[in-house]
Amino acid sequence: MVPAMAMLMVPPWPAAQGLLRNCWEQLQRKHRQSRPGFPSPQWGPALAVQGPAIFTEPANDTNGSKEISSFLESIFWMAAPQNRRSIEVNRCRRRNLHKLITVKNNIDVCPECGHLKQKHVLCGYCYEKVCKETAEIRRQIGKQEGGPFKAPTVETMVLYLGETPSKRDQGKRIIEREWKRPSWFTQN
Amino acid sequence: MRLSVAAAISHGRVFRRLGLGPESRIHLLQNLLTGLVRHERIEASWARVDELRGYAEKLIDCGKLGDTNERAMRMADFWLTEKDLIPKLFHVLAPRYQGQNGGYTRMLQIPNRNKQDRAKMAVIEYKGNCLPPLPLPHRDSNLTLLNQLLQGLQKDQEASTHSSHTVQTPEI
Repeated sequence: MVPAMAMLMVPPWPAAQGLLRNCWEQLQRKHRQSRPGFPSPQWGPALAVQGPAIFTEPANDTNGSKEISSFLESIFWMAAPQNRRSIEVNRCRRRNLHKLITVKNNIDVCPECGHLKQKHVLCGYCYEKVCKETAEIRRQIGKQEGGPFKAPTVETMVLYLGETPSKRDQGKRIIEREWKRPSWFTQN
Repeated sequence: MRLSVAAAISHGRVFRRLGLGPESRIHLLQNLLTGLVRHERIEASWARVDELRGYAEKLIDCGKLGDTNERAMRMADFWLTEKDLIPKLFHVLAPRYQGQNGGYTRMLQIPNRNKQDRAKMAVIEYKGNCLPPLPLPHRDSNLTLLNQLLQGLQKDQEASTHSSHTVQTPEI
């Protein structure tokens, strides 16, 4: 069967014929019910348009053509565009301000490492350095504690190569790191 | 005039919805808080860290009440799921912040997560921890050359406006 989009071009369309026949029969039935007089008065349509001869066929034909799906009948009431949108109109819609990517003007240079960073966000490179060092320290803590759920009840202190604890850090647990102290990790 | 509440509008709502529901939200915060007390620095999604911050500070206030306080001990027992951290809270974290009245935590935004969701992440830490310091944003010191020159310019401008005011007043 020809797809539904082509229906406007070919008038003798079985679905259209079936639909018109159904409507006409419904009208006839209603009229007969409302006026059950034996001599039914002559009545006809108010407006007649020339069309294909669909009413001369017997009604039994509708039994054969029942495979007309309700979808094909209901396509009469679907929305479709009337005109082609021109390229100017399309450009106006596609390049509208809210559809473009917003320009960021909050990008700065980190003064420590020189990488780019956003103003309200930490520098990625510097934070990555800190993450690596904390991972090493935590690994050392894990080795010293020896097992899970053994957090000590004293403060902790990290000492690098060649360092000794000062007087203030007397009661603390010492974590030794076999490396020299990084320049950005000041001992306070 | 709208008389009913539309489903998707949340104008003015201040309470976040995390996890699978209110109970799930509490469990999430319990886990995050336990991790924070153990490791003293945690990174997670920004919304969760923001939610956690208030609870972390309240826990320190609770720890300051001392472990002889029944309510403080019950709170610590509820929030810290790993029970070896309860002595750490009362004997390490609470004495550390004896002199302060708040501001025990620091929260900073970090670059978006590297996974496909590119989620907004944040890091939260208890101040005064033993770990390497985060690259905090700090204002330039007042002693740099540029700042000294700017200070001098400010003083000169104030002096000139002051002298123009004093010159005008005798005329009036």
